[in-house]
Amino acid sequence: MNRLSFGWALPTYSVVLYAFLYLPIVVIVLFAFDAKSIPGLPLEGFTTDWFAASLGDARLVGSLLTSIRLALLAAVLSTALAMPAAMVLAWRPVRMKSLVLCLVLGPVVLPQLVLGLGLVVLFRAAPDLVGQPAIVLAHTTMTSSYATLMLYSRFLGFRRSYIEAAMNLGANEFVTFREIILPLIAPALIAVLLLAFTDAFGEFVVAWFLAGFTETLPIAIWTSLRQVISPKIYALSAVVILVTLAVSVSAQIWILGQSRRESEP
Amino acid sequence: MAMPGSPRRRTSLTALLPTAGLLPLVLWQIVFFVVPVALIVGLSVWRRENYRLIPDFTFNNYAAILARPAIWRALLLSAETAAFVTVVCAVLAYPVAYFIAKKAGRWRGLLLVAVIAPFWVSIVMRVAAWRLLLGERGVINQMIMALGLTDEPLSFLLYSPVSTAIGLIYAYLPLYVLPLYAAISNIHDSWIDAAMDLNASPARTFFEVILPLSAPGLVVGAVFCFVFGLGEFVTPALLGGGKQLMFSQVIQDEFQRRLDWPSGAAMAVVLLVLVFASLALSMKWIRRASGEAA
Amino acid sequence: MTELSPNAVELRAVSKVYGASTAVREVSMEIPRGAFVTILGPSGCGKSTLLRMISGFVTPSSGDVLIDGVSVVGAAPYERDTAMVFQDYALFPHRTVAQNLAFGLRMRKVAKAEIERRVEAMLELVNLSGFGDRRVSQMSGGQAQRVALGRALIVRPAVLLLDEPLGALDLKLRRQMQAELKTIHRDLGLTFVAVTHDQDEALTLSDRIAVMNGGALEQFDTPENLYRRPATRFVADFVGNANLLEARLGADGRVEAQGLPLALFLTPAQRGGRAAGAAVALVVRPETIAVGAAAPESHDGRVEARVEEIMFSGANQQIVGRLPDGRRLTAHQSAALPAPERGANAVFSWPSQSVWLVDA
Repeated sequence: MNRLSFGWALPTYSVVLYAFLYLPIVVIVLFAFDAKSIPGLPLEGFTTDWFAASLGDARLVGSLLTSIRLALLAAVLSTALAMPAAMVLAWRPVRMKSLVLCLVLGPVVLPQLVLGLGLVVLFRAAPDLVGQPAIVLAHTTMTSSYATLMLYSRFLGFRRSYIEAAMNLGANEFVTFREIILPLIAPALIAVLLLAFTDAFGEFVVAWFLAGFTETLPIAIWTSLRQVISPKIYALSAVVILVTLAVSVSAQIWILGQSRRESEP
Repeated sequence: MAMPGSPRRRTSLTALLPTAGLLPLVLWQIVFFVVPVALIVGLSVWRRENYRLIPDFTFNNYAAILARPAIWRALLLSAETAAFVTVVCAVLAYPVAYFIAKKAGRWRGLLLVAVIAPFWVSIVMRVAAWRLLLGERGVINQMIMALGLTDEPLSFLLYSPVSTAIGLIYAYLPLYVLPLYAAISNIHDSWIDAAMDLNASPARTFFEVILPLSAPGLVVGAVFCFVFGLGEFVTPALLGGGKQLMFSQVIQDEFQRRLDWPSGAAMAVVLLVLVFASLALSMKWIRRASGEAA
Repeated sequence: MTELSPNAVELRAVSKVYGASTAVREVSMEIPRGAFVTILGPSGCGKSTLLRMISGFVTPSSGDVLIDGVSVVGAAPYERDTAMVFQDYALFPHRTVAQNLAFGLRMRKVAKAEIERRVEAMLELVNLSGFGDRRVSQMSGGQAQRVALGRALIVRPAVLLLDEPLGALDLKLRRQMQAELKTIHRDLGLTFVAVTHDQDEALTLSDRIAVMNGGALEQFDTPENLYRRPATRFVADFVGNANLLEARLGADGRVEAQGLPLALFLTPAQRGGRAAGAAVALVVRPETIAVGAAAPESHDGRVEARVEEIMFSGANQQIVGRLPDGRRLTAHQSAALPAPERGANAVFSWPSQSVWLVDA
């Protein structure tokens, strides 16, 4: 039986597309190691000086640390908001469920520009929060949507009989949560935490509107893009990108493996 | 043994748990999502006098912005770019989604994750990389010139709607592969086999079986691409140059440089209406399509 | 606790209503301590809902549930002295076999040494000695079933609930587990309440069977009574195979089976106090029917029918006859007996004392 095979065309095309997807990343990593101070072809020579230079740049490193700190806060906050909500949405009958889902998932489809401007107006009422607190609040709003969505589907796939078995054997709601639910969803929770962190870490538009004098790494890069870019930006970006890829890939493979394990009897 | 009163007390306590679980997130989203959007909508009917905001209920802002040809140009450019990007993404993403769903065997998980992974890299870094690639002295131009294809660098590659489109296609491709993959992997191989077994040619099998069955994925992907493309800000701001502005850039300019918040808010509301209209339209389609299936 | 009720479980007119549909309708039942009771019925008959009302996962809309003589309506599952064997076993995948077994004891704050001792004993009881440190994902279907059973038994519940306990096993394993389950029940003397749609399983395992249909309890009786003296047409049809012949009670104890030349004389017990003229259905079990050229002397119920189909199934043969009015009659008889010729007419006959009546 001759299935639709397309011979070599499909795999070849896929290779080209993956190349397109990873081309910009390869270019950044490439220039991070190039000796030339104004990036361009041809490559001049291999050096790791730019990595040292970027680590010596107090402003750059400061923005990196700020980003890490703020993203960590947003990730923890959004996961903490998302987990109980996703649990209720997946397991309990909720009145006006579609309205609640719209409310929770709205930030996904709302243009970031509009959310950013709206928050600018909102924080006029609380000017003291502009800067780091405002960025954390905004990023939590955005990432909690994704976090809720991911945890919601995880909880939908969770076998209810585990919970019933535990309660049947004498565990109350809280013990059941601690002994059964939490250990079983821990991988998904960690994956969601990692993805929320990655999302908040890289977000630019809303942070830029609310930054005040705060400088996150995306803001620092944006600012430097207005001038000729020093390769040390690329060096730092290369590190961040590779870490981001490693984190997001492992988080997603983790989620994938989880759902596969759960679907087996 | 349980005391007579205790079960009832427990019931009332656990009855509160769903509310307690949902409330923090709902409150949070009301304060930091609903209220900001409401503020923008509210601001759009205020007026501005001598750089001061005055509460009002007027549609003058809308009338004023819709009278400006620059607004229409930006709106059109945004819509055109978003539509173009959507179509290109669909065409580029489909074969890959098909490959991952049907041909990749045990690699499908890894390949799928590999498609999405670049999406998690900060948009600013991705755009910075495209500047390296597309600039007059960028990688692509130098390679083209080294190959002797042209003598002069292609100047339209950067700071033009072309570069914006390339950046957006790059950014949204992963978003399109995902729903397509989901739709295509729901198509049973036996259906494809059945069509072929009934002597349909590969082309007819594709157009009469596979493509209609992957329509939900195509629509969902298109909605996301188009909606995100309409409101995208970073990519056009960094790659598009300053000559031909997209709608989001005009909004930002109105807010931050001209400081005319009511007008900017009115533009933002126009953007919102467009976004939600496309969402509503696609939802209606999806509901109708799934209604037919049921 | 002042007086010990003789019933482990008592249901008093429990109903469960979901919106417009009624899952369980006014079911009353007394389950004696130490009994093995099976709730039997087709899918959607409300049997699982009934079980879940006993375990506490479903709150009845009305009526009362008593465990050991005490009302438990409103009490959470973890406040009830019940333990359940789930259909999908619901073994905690992040725990070993021994940890699964120990779970209920830990929740009851049993001392550690005691837990270890009882887990060991339970592993032995369910034939899994040495498997304590295995992951549950490494267990085969039959082994997982034993772990699930052990995890519920170990807490020595007032009632052990089994939700389609053997449904996931293949036929051979199911037979073997049925025997083990029966032995365990006898040895431990606990009250077992099982739910199943498999009538063979119900008949084999139980002391008493509750047959449910459409949310209502049709009959709650011993397997033998259920089979020989079904209370309703549904029970007669659902439990075992039955030929149901529409008939009318005659004045003198005869039965007129609508055009059939039947001369059956029924005892008052068989008539069940029905008045003459009542519309009934005759329940004639296939294995009571003899097929041949003539009827044996003792068989006073006789009809002639054309042999339509003969199906051989090892020890038995199933003979389907068609009556002149189009109705079918099925007989089971030993394959050792000579088979009638297909297409030929034969006499189908049965003794009147083997007949039972249900309301039409």
